[in-house]
Amino acid sequence: MKEFTFERFTQTTDAASAAAARSGAMYLAGGTTLVDLMKIDVLTPDIVIDVGPLGLSRIDVSDDAISVGAGVTNSQLAWHPVVRDRFPVLSEAILSGATTQIRNMATVAGNILQRTRCPYFRDVHASCNRRQPGSGCDALNGFNRGHAVLGVSEHCIATHPSDMCVAMIVLDADIHTMRPDGATRLIPFRNFHVAPGDTPHIEVALEHGELITHIVIPHLPAARRSHYLKVRDRASYEFALASAAVVLDLDGDTIRAARLGLGGIATTPWRATEAEQSLKGRKASDATFREAAETALAGAVAREHNHFKIELAKRAIVRAFATAREAKV
Amino acid sequence: MSTTTTVDVVGTARDRVDGRLKVMGAATYPIDVNLPGLAHAALVQSTIISGRIRDIAVDDAERAPGVVAVITHLNTPPLAIGPPTEIGPQPLPPFQSDAVLHYGQHVAMVVAETREQANSAAALVEVTYERDTPVLSFDDERATEVTHPWTPDHDRGDVSSALAEAEVRINQIYTTAENTNNPIGLFATVAVWDGDALTVHDTTQNPHGARDALAAAFGVDPAGVRILVPFVGGAFGAGLRVWPHVPLAALAARITKRPVKVVLTRAQMFTAVGHRPNTIQLLSVGASRDGLLAAIDHVSRSSIGMEGELINLVTNGSLTAYACPNVSTRARQIRQSIPIPGWMRAPGEAEGSFALESAIDELSYALNIDPIELRIKNHAHVHPDNALPWSSNALLDCYRLGAERFGWSARTPEPRSMRKMDQLVGYGMGRGALGAYQPPCKAIATIRRDGTAFVRSGGTDMGPGTYTVMSMLAADCLGVPIERVRFGLGDSAMPKAPQEGGSGFTGALGNAVHATCVSVVRAFVNLVSDDAMSPLKGCRLEGITVRNGGIQITDDPARFETYADILTRHGLDEMTIEGESAPPGETSSATMIVQEGRFIPYTPPSTGTLAHAGAFAAHFVEVNVDPDLRTIRVARVVSAVDGGRILNPKTARSQIIGGIAMGIGMALLEETVSDRTGRLVTTSLAEYVVAVNADVRDVDVLFVGEPDAMTPLGTKGIGELAITGMAAAIANAVYHATGTRFRSLPISIEKVLGLQPGH
Ligand SMILES: Cc1cc2nc3c(=O)[nH]c(=O)nc-3n(C[C@H](O)[C@H](O)[C@H](O)COP(=O)(O)OP(=O)(O)OC[C@H]3O[C@@H](n4cnc5c(N)ncnc54)[C@H](O)[C@@H]3O)c2cc1C
Repeated sequence: MKEFTFERFTQTTDAASAAAARSGAMYLAGGTTLVDLMKIDVLTPDIVIDVGPLGLSRIDVSDDAISVGAGVTNSQLAWHPVVRDRFPVLSEAILSGATTQIRNMATVAGNILQRTRCPYFRDVHASCNRRQPGSGCDALNGFNRGHAVLGVSEHCIATHPSDMCVAMIVLDADIHTMRPDGATRLIPFRNFHVAPGDTPHIEVALEHGELITHIVIPHLPAARRSHYLKVRDRASYEFALASAAVVLDLDGDTIRAARLGLGGIATTPWRATEAEQSLKGRKASDATFREAAETALAGAVAREHNHFKIELAKRAIVRAFATAREAKV
Repeated sequence: MSTTTTVDVVGTARDRVDGRLKVMGAATYPIDVNLPGLAHAALVQSTIISGRIRDIAVDDAERAPGVVAVITHLNTPPLAIGPPTEIGPQPLPPFQSDAVLHYGQHVAMVVAETREQANSAAALVEVTYERDTPVLSFDDERATEVTHPWTPDHDRGDVSSALAEAEVRINQIYTTAENTNNPIGLFATVAVWDGDALTVHDTTQNPHGARDALAAAFGVDPAGVRILVPFVGGAFGAGLRVWPHVPLAALAARITKRPVKVVLTRAQMFTAVGHRPNTIQLLSVGASRDGLLAAIDHVSRSSIGMEGELINLVTNGSLTAYACPNVSTRARQIRQSIPIPGWMRAPGEAEGSFALESAIDELSYALNIDPIELRIKNHAHVHPDNALPWSSNALLDCYRLGAERFGWSARTPEPRSMRKMDQLVGYGMGRGALGAYQPPCKAIATIRRDGTAFVRSGGTDMGPGTYTVMSMLAADCLGVPIERVRFGLGDSAMPKAPQEGGSGFTGALGNAVHATCVSVVRAFVNLVSDDAMSPLKGCRLEGITVRNGGIQITDDPARFETYADILTRHGLDEMTIEGESAPPGETSSATMIVQEGRFIPYTPPSTGTLAHAGAFAAHFVEVNVDPDLRTIRVARVVSAVDGGRILNPKTARSQIIGGIAMGIGMALLEETVSDRTGRLVTTSLAEYVVAVNADVRDVDVLFVGEPDAMTPLGTKGIGELAITGMAAAIANAVYHATGTRFRSLPISIEKVLGLQPGH
């Protein structure tokens, strides 16, 4: 770990301008990503700015939305009664991730900004375009069992590991930020994470020093019939091999509208818009869901060890929709 | 005339004597040791797999803040290899040349004032390599086969003709993956010199082995080397050998003339303290239509590093598993450019039993005989090699009682025939066994004038509960309340003990403690035998009962005297006696069996009349397999265990549960992966997936059987038993659930989907 200085502010504008002023500054929230990566020299900030004292930890509920402070912990959000009631998919997604201890530390903004688990990203001696632009990608021909099949490029196939984000993208959340000059802006969740393309080191639509202040999730009555399904090797405490976040709006057994997000298989939290469209007006049968799954994975590109994820993701999609269909709401 | 009965603590379920210390964080593990003037070392590891170090630039590291020394092969003196231990040779000493033989080999050590400074300076060491092509496959023509003195070749009868003539044959290849021990305690070594005397706090399962290895490495007198490890932090076999970081810590301390501490990182734990090597096994089984085994042919190839030796008897278990007249076993080791392997819980046996117990299951389907029936039919009622009766063997009870507890009779034999809700259900079973093993061991026992007892030996408690069961045993043998007994372990200055490994330590130490405590009581009896002041005058060992911190004439409760009173009257501060265990099947004159405070003469079986049996188990497993997602969950396990005399059912049960958990990992989850270049990629506990609580659900342990006749104590080793046969029991259950036979571990989801690479 490289030596660093540690700073705390109570005003968001002070924190943001302090961060913006120095290129080696990074925010610290729960530290479960940042400190982990600092210990293995993957992240080497000179200045660590604690966002804890900024007080971004409110959850405000109104009739048409729920607003979640950036510093709200994963546990607080998952167990919030309104989230449990209105957005089962979000609660389930968060609770399927990590462990109680980690979720108690981890924050909403930190979760959104967590980094890939690609072993080559995490090994400073390996080639990784994401960590070190232009150095190459050892994952392409390396051990790529955990890697993405959607949103990949010739430069990077690293999976975005978050569960929570898959639910957030399905719920059309908005990310609110504050720039160093104090100006605020709103970034729709689906524009926030950036596919690697030929600039894998650009992962999100944030500027340096820009601070996430809160996330707004618009009310979506249909989300009462929603579900998050996560498939992994062991029964708990593991990142997804494939996951599906679904919202199903039914009229009898006809699909009025559906939403589908995918995790564990894509370079960013993934929204399968075309598949969603294809479900409109169809009968909510397993066969229909399978067709949508085929559509969702149509563009998938596999490597040596992750081929199975394409079929696994399709089955996860069918199961997630089928579970949502049967849910008593 | 009345008699007094005392109640043994041995045999009762007791909490750990050190449980409170551990829960409160007050137990000191090597990683917790802090000394005045302590310097901290960080290791630099090779990032190539095979080749030479052309250049090591250490200037930047040396100039970094806080750095005290940088050590490489260029400034390391010759270090000799330590003597082989009870279980084979030590790894070769580090930094002896520029050769790089595996990924993650230590190539430099940076010593600094703080751990953080050492770590950050370590990143500044610039190593230039000359790369060779590593040997990464058994099929590589440069891969050489190792021959060594433990050649595990065995032949009974004529396997090839028996196979050729067999009415039914199973002939399959089974593979097991590389697994890594991953104890939760990171391995740590703290070394400090005083002249030529060396004190080392070290994560080891073998303090005396570490002492001898370090003495040899530095050419100093072993008597001046002391290893301390009161608490280990887990090891599962990783602490059985003296790994390179241990002499390096001592070397750094010698060079810097300061105490030096090194703590391996989790990633380094994957390359620097051994692992279970992978195997490819060919197994052929022949049988008659009615299910009698005619032949077993078991050939294994397992990987070993490019240097050093390691005993890995993968196929030995097949020799005595069943009453089969014709058996041939071969265990070969192939040199590969992999981190130096070591031992991991039931090394060899866990892998070999996967192949054998899978093949027996396959045979049961081929013959249409219930798998338990088939095993009972071929049960080895006597030792298959020498036809001697077993010293104890309750395997048949394991089958019967385990099956009953599990509800095996509800099983419908047809694969895919059982369902629960929408899940496929499979019942499978497997036989587990671990051979008898009891190395020599010494102990020393003291009773002090304050009435307390202190019993000690230089072995370790790496977690199974050795402190607890030995305290219980000493309490019973001495008749001192357990609260007044202290047990000492983890110090090479204590009497010589073997490694805690090979499931031999409870027997070794237990029999030593037993014999030593009997000698202590005998010494007190001698002291009072013609002591006119003592109510015990004239007593003999056979006529006394020990209880309440003293001795009573069994038939006359009024004639009682405490050890404290005897010592006081004789002007003694303490009574201290050193003793040792007798080899199994032999007995020294001191050996009696202590039961309920009485001393009963123990007669070992006459030499050559019994075959020393190890421990046995039968595992019964229910798996639930999702027919679409293909996830496998182990819903239930019942393990019936013949562990001989169980000293503490609570700690014993924990041992079995631990073995089951590790067996679940081995069967379904665990794989240490190197990519095609030879670089290790599963270097954290997020990537190397072990079973967590949610994977270990309903587990039931059943102890059956009797004390074993070969030793006064009557125990058998159960530390490793539960993982033997466990992976096969799971794989057999998966077959029963799905109708697909998986012969390659771990049974990961892509295999169950039929979509693994290369298919
Ligand atoms: C062992 C382990 C297992 C895990 N398993 C899972 C899993 O199964 N599923 C899953 O989804 N996740 C999992 N995680 C990841 C976990 O969810 C994230 O580490 C966590 O959410 C990060 O939150 P944090 O508050 O600790 O972030 P930090 O580590 O503090 O910060 C993460 C990043 O966010 C930035 N940041 C933090 N707050 C702000 C802000 N307000 N504005 C701008 N930037 C900010 C930091 O600078 C940093 O770059 C796991 C993590 C670990 C260590």
